[in-house]
Amino acid sequence: MAGDLITILFNAMIWAMATFLVASGLTLVFGILHVLNFSHGGFFMIGGYVAYTVLSTFGAEIPLWAYLAAALVASVAMGGTGIAVDTLVFRRLKSVDGVYVLIATYALLLVCDGVVKLIWGLNYLSVSPPRELLDVLFLGGAIMPTFSIFVVVSGVVVFLALDVVINRTSAGRILQVIAVDPWMAGIVGINVSSVYRWTVITGFALAGLAGGLLVANQSLSPDLAGIFILQAFGVVIVGGMGSVRGAFVASIFLGLVEALSATYLPNYPGVLFFATIALVLIVRPEGLLSRQATS
Amino acid sequence: MSIARVRPAVFLPLLALLVAGALIVPHVANRGVVFLGGVVAINVVFGIAFNLAFAKAGILSFGNAMFFAVGAYCAGYLVTQQNHLPFVVILLAAAGCGGLLALVTGLLALRRASGVYFAVITLAVGALVHVLIMKLDFLGRNDGLIGVNRPIIDFGFFDLDLARGDAYYYFIVASCALLVTLMWVLWSNRFGRSLQALKSDPMRASFLGIDIDRKRLIALVLSGSITALAGAIYAPWAQIVTPELAHWSFSTMPLLFTLLGGSAFFLGPAVGAILFGLLEYATRSLVGISDLLVGGLLLAVVLSVPGGVLGLLATLLARFRASSSPQREERA
Amino acid sequence: MTGISRRGVIAGLGATTLAAPFINRRAFAQSGDAIRIGVVTALSGPQEFIGNFVLAGCQIAVDQINAAGGVLGRQLALEIRDDRANPAEASAAARELIGLGANLQIGTISSSVALAMGPLMTQEGGVVITCGAGTEKLNHENYNEHVFRPGDGPYMRMRAQARLMAERQPDVTSWTGLVPDHEYGRTTWAVYVDGLLQFYPEIAKADPDILDPIIVPYGAGDYRTFVTQAARSKAQGIYNSTYGGDSVTLFQQAKPFQLFKDRVLMDSANEFIVAGALKGDTPGHWTGIHWYHETNKGNPLSDQLYADYVKKTGNTQPMGWVSEAHAGIYAYAKAIEKSGKSDTDAVIAGLKGLEWDTATGKRLMRAEDNQAIKDVELIYIEAGASGPLGYKVTDYVKVDGNTVIEPPTPGEPMKLRKPS
Repeated sequence: MAGDLITILFNAMIWAMATFLVASGLTLVFGILHVLNFSHGGFFMIGGYVAYTVLSTFGAEIPLWAYLAAALVASVAMGGTGIAVDTLVFRRLKSVDGVYVLIATYALLLVCDGVVKLIWGLNYLSVSPPRELLDVLFLGGAIMPTFSIFVVVSGVVVFLALDVVINRTSAGRILQVIAVDPWMAGIVGINVSSVYRWTVITGFALAGLAGGLLVANQSLSPDLAGIFILQAFGVVIVGGMGSVRGAFVASIFLGLVEALSATYLPNYPGVLFFATIALVLIVRPEGLLSRQATS
Repeated sequence: MSIARVRPAVFLPLLALLVAGALIVPHVANRGVVFLGGVVAINVVFGIAFNLAFAKAGILSFGNAMFFAVGAYCAGYLVTQQNHLPFVVILLAAAGCGGLLALVTGLLALRRASGVYFAVITLAVGALVHVLIMKLDFLGRNDGLIGVNRPIIDFGFFDLDLARGDAYYYFIVASCALLVTLMWVLWSNRFGRSLQALKSDPMRASFLGIDIDRKRLIALVLSGSITALAGAIYAPWAQIVTPELAHWSFSTMPLLFTLLGGSAFFLGPAVGAILFGLLEYATRSLVGISDLLVGGLLLAVVLSVPGGVLGLLATLLARFRASSSPQREERA
Repeated sequence: MTGISRRGVIAGLGATTLAAPFINRRAFAQSGDAIRIGVVTALSGPQEFIGNFVLAGCQIAVDQINAAGGVLGRQLALEIRDDRANPAEASAAARELIGLGANLQIGTISSSVALAMGPLMTQEGGVVITCGAGTEKLNHENYNEHVFRPGDGPYMRMRAQARLMAERQPDVTSWTGLVPDHEYGRTTWAVYVDGLLQFYPEIAKADPDILDPIIVPYGAGDYRTFVTQAARSKAQGIYNSTYGGDSVTLFQQAKPFQLFKDRVLMDSANEFIVAGALKGDTPGHWTGIHWYHETNKGNPLSDQLYADYVKKTGNTQPMGWVSEAHAGIYAYAKAIEKSGKSDTDAVIAGLKGLEWDTATGKRLMRAEDNQAIKDVELIYIEAGASGPLGYKVTDYVKVDGNTVIEPPTPGEPMKLRKPS
């Protein structure tokens, strides 16, 4: 029985950290620009495909450094795309009602789907975990693949890095100011527009990074964006508008919900997940860890 | 951009034009096009019902598919299992189900959430409804309900057999015209205008004694019931009801129609639905690039013409009039 | 990327598209003119991958038949529409095509679309030949004389799989399943169990032990919880009816758990999808396939189909749906020749009871329930270092369809044995 509990907790953490990796960029953009970027899942997916292309030159045995390098390449590629998206979409729609940006990002998601199919085709693809991470650890009755541990560790590392930047650096303090009062920030002399751009770039870069780090976690297909997007949304909303800490906590919370749902309610996938989101939003609409944005 | 009431002198001729166009279709085009025409008519109602809540009450819902699906399933189930019930009763039951769902959603969410949060709640509730539909045996689970036949309406001394020929198509045109007129009344009358007031300036509206939450709830319930009614009319037309109707991507359709046509105009979603129907038809054999096309189109519209086609026309008209002579222009 | 040149498809259809709305049935005399066959299949969305094979099969068959002189002196022509695996879209496309005079249609992959076609075709007066739709209801409780299945029904294939296991793995008596939580998943498992319950006692002289299947969601990105459950199972054999990307994800995530070590894996219908993705990481497994070119070497139709397919697409590993579509078109051709006309009633009469040659050998279309009797094909795939594919087919069998097909019961649900 104890093995079961550890297994449930472990599976919950894997789901949580994978989702957090995807949601981190989404949260950042949501918190600073107040835009819920529907296409975030699409760029996560493209990041995964970019990593796949890089890794396919290594054949069957992929060294860990190559795996990480591919994730970095994906990250940079997506960051670059972020510049284009910011220029062409977010800036143009700044002065219009927020709903139009939402719709534009949804349209972008469709474009991402189309681009993936055009470039990489429709086949299902798979990447094996790096050769250093093909083992399994045993803890009590629970089986813990080392690649899964890698996913969990990656999520925690990304979180800590973001947390440090946001809370302990001057750049982070600027971000916090802008999140709360961009008008005042502008008056005080902060180049708000430039910060917005950098936030978008970082958000997209995080999407690409997540895509690359998670490429060996599941199969790769044009459906990938759709699978992760609702999960990421749930985490961002439940965690509180733009709060990275909130997103982290929400990921773990929802990860537990998902793991319990898969174990005890396998015939009703997603019901518990959506019901939880709806309930949290109704009872505490600001999110679990609100009050301070981007903290 | 304020949304004035639509004067009967402007609305009625336009409606007549649309209906006339719809009536010609079976005489000049083949059965497939007739089928699509019926779908477009239903989409017009779908879109305008969405816009009623969106433009007038500022409610952005990403879950309207659930109302449509609830209405379609209600009608589909009753037509296949309880077909002794008069069709009109079935339609009203479907509208009631949609309204009920909207009421529950609104009561739970409107009071506390607004803007993006509300939109995401509707997304979550919609996804919940989608999963539940797929799990219920009596609704056919994944396969849905098939064999939803077009009914015979019994008027007492004569029967109207809607299964014959194009009869159901004419029924769709008639009932959609009726629903559009109903929504026009709501849009332009005191209710619609008070909604407009509270959207533009909620604080002042509440000082004036308007109960914001209640009005918005009513708007949502109306939108939900009429959308469900559209779904109920759709079920015997397609003769099959499947869970895809409740998927969140279907919820983006009325949004697309509204934006394409112009959200500030009552008939904006109608223009959008027709344009989208034409576009889908024209590209139906361009297989495999539909995602790119729809996404690209939507993006192009939002980025360059956020006021939609009608917004663009209105701007051009205003510019033309301003350059020729100073005159007050009427908005449709 | 394998597949049809999109430009080619677009170029061929542009003219019809523009003129189409104003053409109705009366405009086509359908005599001396080309016989139009409507292809309504998933050419976008999650099943686009399969739809492309279906389209290729149709096009190759039509080219072959036209080169040999056509049908009753008339050429065949295809009208192609994308149904997005969505019954509403399929309905619209089917109606439109009938309006254009294409009352003969083909290509249904999705079960829900197949079920919707029956009432639609009855009302609009058309016929449809499915290409892989797997629902058993098609020739049972939802039987409709306008819908034909030219290939494996779930009953035949799953029972052939159970029979093979009884023959080859008589000691593997305890079985569990990885079953996706939808109609197709549940049905395939139930039929497989029925087969185990019949063939193990008959052939292996042992009673099978049916363990509770593991019901998994579909379309999820993380199957680890279910992999853990399966890893704990005492079953010696696992039956997998998860499909496509879900299977790939599940097998990928199962690897560190060594789920399939010391176990036998029987896969219901993935053909080369899983092996193509996992390559060298593919666990050894049997899988059902609609047509395998090696198994059918020597059959001139099969060899020609394979050659034409490779020439057309450059892909040397076609999947079985190509042959389903190919066989379907040939069925139409033979039915029209048999009855002398191409209108709906004549073709239905021609199809019923039809015996015709296909890439998998002779098939018989049962008149009672519109289900074809054909050889069921199974292949064994395992990882192999040689070759760019990373996997190889090391065994294949053909099971005579007559030994595993169910008796026809149109209008009635299928009856299955259940474990006690």
